[in-house]
Amino acid sequence: MSSAPTASTTTGPPTGLPAAGPASAADLSAADQLLALHRAGRLAAEYPRLAALLADLTDPELARTGLLLARLDPDQVLAAHPATPILSVALTGHGTLAALPPALAAEFARHGLLLRHRVSEFDSYVFDLADPDSELYAFEPDLTVCLLDPEVVFDEAPLPWRPADLAPVLTAKLDLIERLVATFTATSRATLVLNTLPLPAAYARQLVDHRSRAELGALWRRANARLLDLAAAHPGLVVVDLDPLLAEGLPARDPRLARYTKAHLSNQLLARYARELGHLARHLTGRTRKCLVLDLDDTLWGGTLGEDGPDGIEVADGYRGEAFAAFQRTVKQLAAQGVMTAVVSKNEPEPVRAAFRDHPRMTLREADLLRITANWRPKDQNLAELAADLNIGLDSLVFVDDSPYELGLVRHALPAVATVAVDGEPALHAEKLLRDGWFDVLELTGEDRARVARYREELDRRDFLHAFGSLDDYLRELSVRVEFAALTPEELPRAAQLTLRTNQFHLATERLQPAELAARAARPGALVLGVRASDRFGSNGLVGLVLARRDAGQLVIDNFLLSCRVFSRGIEGACLAALLAHARALGLGAVLGRYRPGAKNAIVRDFYPRYGFTLDPAADALPDAAPDAGRPGLLTFRHDLAELPAFPDHLQLSTDLVGVPR
Amino acid sequence: MNTVDDFLALLRDELGMPVSTEDLPRGLDEVPGWDSVHLIWLLSALEQRLGRPVSLARILEAPTLAEIYQVALAG
Repeated sequence: MSSAPTASTTTGPPTGLPAAGPASAADLSAADQLLALHRAGRLAAEYPRLAALLADLTDPELARTGLLLARLDPDQVLAAHPATPILSVALTGHGTLAALPPALAAEFARHGLLLRHRVSEFDSYVFDLADPDSELYAFEPDLTVCLLDPEVVFDEAPLPWRPADLAPVLTAKLDLIERLVATFTATSRATLVLNTLPLPAAYARQLVDHRSRAELGALWRRANARLLDLAAAHPGLVVVDLDPLLAEGLPARDPRLARYTKAHLSNQLLARYARELGHLARHLTGRTRKCLVLDLDDTLWGGTLGEDGPDGIEVADGYRGEAFAAFQRTVKQLAAQGVMTAVVSKNEPEPVRAAFRDHPRMTLREADLLRITANWRPKDQNLAELAADLNIGLDSLVFVDDSPYELGLVRHALPAVATVAVDGEPALHAEKLLRDGWFDVLELTGEDRARVARYREELDRRDFLHAFGSLDDYLRELSVRVEFAALTPEELPRAAQLTLRTNQFHLATERLQPAELAARAARPGALVLGVRASDRFGSNGLVGLVLARRDAGQLVIDNFLLSCRVFSRGIEGACLAALLAHARALGLGAVLGRYRPGAKNAIVRDFYPRYGFTLDPAADALPDAAPDAGRPGLLTFRHDLAELPAFPDHLQLSTDLVGVPR
Repeated sequence: MNTVDDFLALLRDELGMPVSTEDLPRGLDEVPGWDSVHLIWLLSALEQRLGRPVSLARILEAPTLAEIYQVALAG
C-alpha cells in the first residue's frame, strides 16, 4: 500500500479553496473539507475527525472519498492515533475486487474504524480458502470476504444452455463452497462473509419462454437458499443476502465493467454491500449501538401533544397516523430484540405518560420503553444522564429527532451519539432509522430479548438504593447470589456476546467469537469460567467471564470481564478471591493478572492492585493467550498468595473451583 | 474538463494519485501510485465530468495518461 500522497509536489490548491483549518472549515462542505485534508496530506493525522465529515456525504461523494482513504497507510493513522480500532480484512473472490477496498475504507471510516486489507489475485478464492497454508490465512484476517458473483455459474454453462444444464453446475459450486467453508472454519478464527448470487436479467432474458425463465429462477433461488442455510451450521460464517439490497433499486451489474474488467457486480451494489460489512465490522469491534432514544412530537407521533392534546396527535388513523403507527411498530420490533429504547422529549411529563398509558390507539407502550424523559432541559443533558444511569457509553446511543436544532445541539455537545434526522414525511422514518444497521449483531441470544426487562429491574434497584443510608446496607438487602463455574457450551453465544459488548470492565478487551472461546476453553490447563448473578429483583443471567490458565506453576488470568449492569456489588471481588483461594489450594506459586489497555477500560487498570496484586514487569514476557492482540501497554500483576483478600460477606458465592471456602 | 490540467486535477483529487505533467507521457507502469484498477474509477469520473459516455475498451488499451486524456476528449 502506498503512503499518503502529498499535494506539495504538484500545484497548490486552486484559488478560492482554502486549506483545511478550523478558521475556514465552517464555510466548506464536508466533501470540500475532506478534499482539503487530502490535498494537505492530513487525512491520517485527522482520522478521528473523518467520521463526522463522512456522515454528511452523498453516496457519490462517499465513493470518491473512499478512493482517497483506501490509499492511506493504516500504520500512519495508528502512529498518529494509536487507539484507533483496526480490523484486518482479507478480500477474495471470483471476479475483479477493485471496487471493494475503497468502498470498505469509506464505510469503516464512517464508523471511526480503520481498515487494513489484503486483496487476493483475480479468481483465487478456491485456492485461498482451500489451502490452509495460503497467503490469505497467513495474513491472519479478522474478517474474510469472499465475493461471489453469477459468473461463478455462467462461466461453466454450455452454449446453448437450458436451465437444466445449470442444475449440476449450481450443485457442484455449492458443494465446493461448503467444503471451503469447512476448511475455513477449521483453519481461521476470523469471520467469513459470503454473499448470495444475484441473477442478472441479461441471463434470464436469454431464455425466450416464460416456463424456462421460471425454472431458472427456481433453480437459482434454491442454490441461494442453500448458501444462506450454511450460516446456521457455521457460527463463524455470515451470508449476506444481496436481494434486499438490490430491491432498493441498485443495478446488479454494469455490463461494460463486467465485460472489460471482469468486475461482475456493479460499483453501486458493492458500495451498499460494503455498508453491510461496515456494520458487521462495527459489531466485531464491540461498537454495536445499544440504546435508541426517540423524540416524540413529529417523530413518534404527528403533531404536538402539548397543543393538540392526546386526541389531536396522529398515532394510528389517517394517512399520517398510519405512517407514525408503522414507525412505532418498527421501534417496538427493535425493542423486542434487546435494543434499549427510551424517549427524550421537551414536554410536560404527565401528559406524555398518560399518552403512552391511556391512548387507545398507541402502538408503543410504557413496557416497551426503558425510560420516558419529558422535561424542558436541553436534550444533551438528558441523553448524558440516561447513558450514565444505564451505565453505557454515549457511543452506545442512537438519537432520532425531527428538529434540526436538537440534532445539531446533540451533534455538537455529544459527538459520540449517533443522530438520525427524520423530517416531515413520517413514511420515511423507519427507512432512515434502519438504514445504518446501528443495532446489527451476528446472533441474538435470550439475554438480548430479556435486556429491556433486566435494565428496568436495574432502574428499580436504583430507586431501592436511594432508600438506604449506605451502600453496604443496600447490598445486604439486595441478597446477591453469584455462581462462578465453568462455562457451559450453551452459554458460548452469550459469553461471546459479552466480549463484544463489554467495554469498561474488560481487562484485556478481547472480542471473541463462540468458536474462539470454545478453543480457548479446550487448551490444556485452561480455566474458562462464567459468572452468573441474581438478586432479590431477579436473575441477571451470565454477567461475566474469566479466561485463565495454569502455566508454569502459576495461574494466569488473561482476561476478566463483567457487564456494566452489575458493577460495584462486590461480584468481581468475590470471583477474584475464589480464584486466589483455588490457586493456593492447588499449591500454585502465584496468580498473575493481566491488563491490556483498550479504548474504554482505563477504569480497571488498578483492579488487581486493589486486591493485593503488585506490578510485575518481568512477567510481561510470559506467553500471551492472545499473542495476535498486539496492543502495547500490557501490564502483568502478581499475587504471591501469602495473604488472601476476604470474601465480601453480603453475597453468596457458589463455585465448582476446588479449595474455595463455602 | 477543458484542459490537461483539469485532467491532472481529477487524477489527484478523485483518485488520490500524486501525478504531475511529467507523468503524462510515461508508460502507466511508471506512473507513481498507478494501479490498473483505477481505470474503472477514472472512467466514471471522466463520464461524470464530460456528461457523455467514454469508451472503456479504448481507455483500457491506452498506454499512457496522455493517451487516456485523448480518448476521453475524442469521446
